[in-house]
Amino acid sequence: MSIAMRFEDYSWRYSRTSEPALKNVNLEIAAGAVVGIIGPNGSGKTSLAYSMNGLIPNQYNGIRTGAVYVLGKEVTTIPQAQLCQQVGLVFSDPEAQFTAMTVEDEVIFGMENMGLTIAQIKQRLDWVVPLTEIEPLMDKPPYEVSGGQKQRVALASVLGMRPPIMVLDEPTSMLDPMGRQRVFEVLGKLKREYQSTIIVVEHSLENLVPLADLMILVYHGEVLLVAETEPFFEQLGYLMKHDVFPPGVLEFFYQLKVAGHYPAAWPLPQSVAAGAARLRALFEEKK
Amino acid sequence: MKMNKTILGYVPEESPLYRIHPFVRVFFLLVVSLFPMLINAPEWNLAIIVLAIFLLKYSRVNLSTLKIYVPVSLSMGFLILLSHTVLGGIHPEFYVSFKLFGFPFYYERIVAAVDVYTRVLPMIFLTVLFLSTSRERDMLVAMRWAHVPFVVTYLVAMALRSVGMVIEDFSIVRQAEKARGFDPQGKSIAYKLRQFVMYIIPLFALALRRSDEFANAIVARGYSFTGLREVKRPDYILTQYRFRVRDGLLVAIISLSLVGVLIIRFGLGGLTLEGSLTLQWLELWLKGGAA
Repeated sequence: MSIAMRFEDYSWRYSRTSEPALKNVNLEIAAGAVVGIIGPNGSGKTSLAYSMNGLIPNQYNGIRTGAVYVLGKEVTTIPQAQLCQQVGLVFSDPEAQFTAMTVEDEVIFGMENMGLTIAQIKQRLDWVVPLTEIEPLMDKPPYEVSGGQKQRVALASVLGMRPPIMVLDEPTSMLDPMGRQRVFEVLGKLKREYQSTIIVVEHSLENLVPLADLMILVYHGEVLLVAETEPFFEQLGYLMKHDVFPPGVLEFFYQLKVAGHYPAAWPLPQSVAAGAARLRALFEEKK
Repeated sequence: MKMNKTILGYVPEESPLYRIHPFVRVFFLLVVSLFPMLINAPEWNLAIIVLAIFLLKYSRVNLSTLKIYVPVSLSMGFLILLSHTVLGGIHPEFYVSFKLFGFPFYYERIVAAVDVYTRVLPMIFLTVLFLSTSRERDMLVAMRWAHVPFVVTYLVAMALRSVGMVIEDFSIVRQAEKARGFDPQGKSIAYKLRQFVMYIIPLFALALRRSDEFANAIVARGYSFTGLREVKRPDYILTQYRFRVRDGLLVAIISLSLVGVLIIRFGLGGLTLEGSLTLQWLELWLKGGAA
C-alpha cells in the first residue's frame, strides 16, 4: 500500500515559546486509511494537522526540523497552492473559514482557485452537494445556517477540490450529537465509495472509533502511541492515564475486563451495537 | 411566499427585479445617485424620491419598512435646518423672514437648507432602494461582470462580511461583560464613553484572531492574490446571470438620462434653484412675495 503522509524526525516550535509544540514525530499514514488523532488540549494535534498541509511553516513563524512528506514529496518543496490540492484541511470553527457570501460561492471558491473550467466546477458541484446534503442551503449566506450545516458546507468546500488526503481538525467540536453523526456519515461515505485518506483530529470518539483504521495518541507534543484501532483501545488504561476519555461502551467493557468478567482474549467492542452483541455472547457462554 | 434576503431586508423570490441583471441595478444606483448633485430644483429631487418609492413598490418590497427611516430623515432635516439658521451666523445682508426666540431666520439660509436637504434625501432613498433589493452577491456579480479585478471584488465581499462579524462579536463581548456585572445601561454618556475601551480591547483582539483564521482559510484553499498564477481563474457565478437585450436597453436609458440631465443643467441652464417652483413658493411664503 502506498504512503500518503510520512513524518520523519519532525519537530516544530512556535516562535516566542520555550517548548516545542511537536517533538521528534515519526509517523506513516497509508493511502486510503481513516486515521484518528487524539490527545488532550494543547498536546499538539492542531500543529500536527497544520504541518500536513503546509500552514506550518508557511503561515506561522517558528523553528522546524525534520521533514513531512505528502505523497512522496517534502511539504516545503511543494507550492502552497498545489499542496492544498493534495491535502484539504477543514478547520474546527467552520465560520472562521467562510470566505464567501453564499454557500454556493463558498463551495466553488477553492475550485475557482484551482483554475477548473466551468464544466468541471459544475460536475464537482453535482458530486459534492448531494454527498454533503447541502442542496437547500446553496443560496443562503454560510454564516446563517445551523452549526451542523456550517460544518458540512466547510467540508463540501474542501471536498470540491478533490484532495486525495483530507485533514479535519476537530470538525465536530461545535456540533450537537446529531450534527456530529451527520458529519461522520459523510466521512463514512468518502471512505466506502472513494477510498480517500482521511485524517481526523477529534475529542469525541463515539463516531470516530467505528470508522478509524488507525489511531494516534499525541501527548505533550509527542506521538506516544500509533496502532490499528482495535489494539489501540486494548491499551485503554494507558490512554486514560494520558487524559483520553474513551467512548462509554469501551470504558464499560474495559472495566468488566479488569474485574475479570469479560474474557481477556476478546477485543473491546467499539460501538454500542458491537457491545450488545458481545454481551449476548457473554451471557450465552455463561449459561 | 418565499422571500429572498437582501442587505436591508427581504424581497419575494418572484420579484420582477430579479429579471434585471445585477450590473444594471448597481449602474442605476451609481448614475441616478449623481442626479441630486447636478439638480438644484427641489421638485425634481423630490421626483427622484417618488421614483425610488415606485421602484420599491414595483420590486415588491414591503413599503411599511420605510417607516424606520422617517425619524432619521426628519432629524437629518432638522439638523440641516438648524445648522443653516440658528447656527448659521449673523448676516445683515440677508432677508429676515421671521425671528424665533430672538434668532433671525434668514430667507436665503432657509432656501439653502431646503436645497441641501432635498439633495441628500433622494440619495438616501436610492441607497435604501438598492440595499433593500440587492444581496451582497449582486454587488459582486455587478463588479465582476464589469471586469473589476477579482481581488478588488473579494476585498469588497470581505468588507461586507466583516460588518456582520464585528456586530456579532460586539454583541458577544457585550453579553459576556454584562454577565460579569459590567452594564453601562442607564449610566451617563460620559461614563459610557469612558468605559467604551472595555468593549474595544476584546473586539480588537477578536478581530486579530479572526483575520489570522481567515488568512489560514484562504491559503488552505489555494488562494493567493494572483490565484495560482499559472492558471486562469474561472468565474462560475457569472454563468448564472445572463445579460439580456433588455438589460442593455436599461443601461442605455440610464446613460441617456444622465446625458440629458447634464445637457439640461449645463447646456440649457435648467434644473436650477432659481427657476424652480419650490423657490417661487418659498419666496411667496417667507418673503410674502417681496423681491
